[in-house]
Amino acid sequence: MAASLAISVSSVSKSFGAVKALTDMDLEVADGQIFGLVGPNGAGKTTLIRALAGALQPDEGEIAVLGLDPRRDRYEIRARLGYMPQEPALYEDLSAFANVRFFAAAHTRDDAAGKARAALEFIELADRADDPVYTLSGGMKQRVSLACALAHEPDLLFLDEPTAGIDPKLREVFWTGFHRLAASGATMIVSTHQMSEALECDRVAIMRAGRVLVAEEPRTLLGQGRATIRLWQQDHVEEMVVNDYSVDLPRLLAARDRVDRVEIDRETLEDIVLRMIDDDAARSA
Amino acid sequence: MTPLAPHRARALGGRVLRQLRADPRFVAVSLIIPLVITFLLKMFFDAIDIPMFDQTRFAVPGAAFIVHFVTYILTALVLVRERVGGTMERMFINGYRQLEIIGGYLAAYTVLATWQSLLILTWVAFLFDLGYSIGSYVQIYLVIWLLAVLSMALGILVSNFARTEGQVIPFIPLIIVPSVFLSGMIVAVEDLPTWAQVLARFTPLFYANEVLQGVISGGTVLDTLGPFVALPLLTAGVLVLASRTLREGS
Repeated sequence: MAASLAISVSSVSKSFGAVKALTDMDLEVADGQIFGLVGPNGAGKTTLIRALAGALQPDEGEIAVLGLDPRRDRYEIRARLGYMPQEPALYEDLSAFANVRFFAAAHTRDDAAGKARAALEFIELADRADDPVYTLSGGMKQRVSLACALAHEPDLLFLDEPTAGIDPKLREVFWTGFHRLAASGATMIVSTHQMSEALECDRVAIMRAGRVLVAEEPRTLLGQGRATIRLWQQDHVEEMVVNDYSVDLPRLLAARDRVDRVEIDRETLEDIVLRMIDDDAARSA
Repeated sequence: MTPLAPHRARALGGRVLRQLRADPRFVAVSLIIPLVITFLLKMFFDAIDIPMFDQTRFAVPGAAFIVHFVTYILTALVLVRERVGGTMERMFINGYRQLEIIGGYLAAYTVLATWQSLLILTWVAFLFDLGYSIGSYVQIYLVIWLLAVLSMALGILVSNFARTEGQVIPFIPLIIVPSVFLSGMIVAVEDLPTWAQVLARFTPLFYANEVLQGVISGGTVLDTLGPFVALPLLTAGVLVLASRTLREGS
């Protein structure tokens, strides 16, 4: 179903000197999805995003973005692409508005100013639009950077840690906005450290050391969570770890005469992801 | 493939000019430092008072050299800053193209170079009491201006080979040393060994100095048409090289 794929990555590797940033990576992202890249620093999230944007050439493998080659067809892709780098990458001495308008002007001949204003409204920074960027806080700069990425209403958004340094309330506002953009048909690649944000995505790829460990819906990942069950029989406590407590618990209860108290600790998504990453690290060590 | 878009070069030039306006200290420094250096040179010449030495013959080429040098370094630094700050990559991924970026920068910095050339020429004329004809001044101004544009092109080219602001520093002597010794400003080029005469042809100041010496001796740029035309031709050549080497990412 190549037509419904916004992105396909197959067997892609990229090294920087002796450092392998991406190792034989495979990934598919469907149209209109919010796709999360989750993983520790050095997992290859930024390298992947830059390769997708055509900013660097993989050593091996094939990448297709919107069915096109990110290097050969970069101008065609970039007309439909919004990119937010990890560092704000703004002109500090210019106003927020001048920054957004400048990047929007790459795409539109006439209405860069109007689009810039709309984007600043979207990130709720219209009241600081005329202030130089160096007077803004870190979180505000991050918002201006986001506005630069989406002012031209792209079909495809690459957001490299968009919510880093942003308070929880505003993070919620961001995600409401992302869902709105996705609803209008945009495909989004969002890298993040925050596991809570992974739950907001349609699908997430867990990355470590330049590879995708697993790419699933967050719900499916949650289903892979283990549970720690504690069964109390008078003063005696029995503790065990099970893979699927909804099946295992009835079985455990049936095997015992009398249970006074049951405690269940389920793994959170964060626990699951960290366990996957730790397991993988232990295997490759 | 989308064609080159003049509106993008215009947006870029506008943005660079707005940055210059937002940074009056940078503009002041780049305009005033050449004036201070020429003033110091004048004091130096007055102090040593060498017989048979006509310091006015050095005044205009000296001014040209300072404009050349300052413009070259500032352009290189500003572009490296774009690269270090990530805005260069962001421009590219947003759809700005090599030639649009170079064209926009060139247009914006030409505005600065225009004022810089005008200011230093006025200052030198006053300081050294030159008293050339209006026609000569116009021609001198044109040569210095062309040299300034060429210097910007060189700065853009050199910025492609530096990844940090600090890496621009080794490129400073690359321009200064050949310019001072090979351009004919201090030693006549005919008196140099053959290899140095060949090398001299690669320094922009060599051509500028040829034309300027002719004009301050009462001639016109038409008397030295070859070196005069060489300035825009070199600029074009350097710009082609610069656009070929302007890298998107790291």
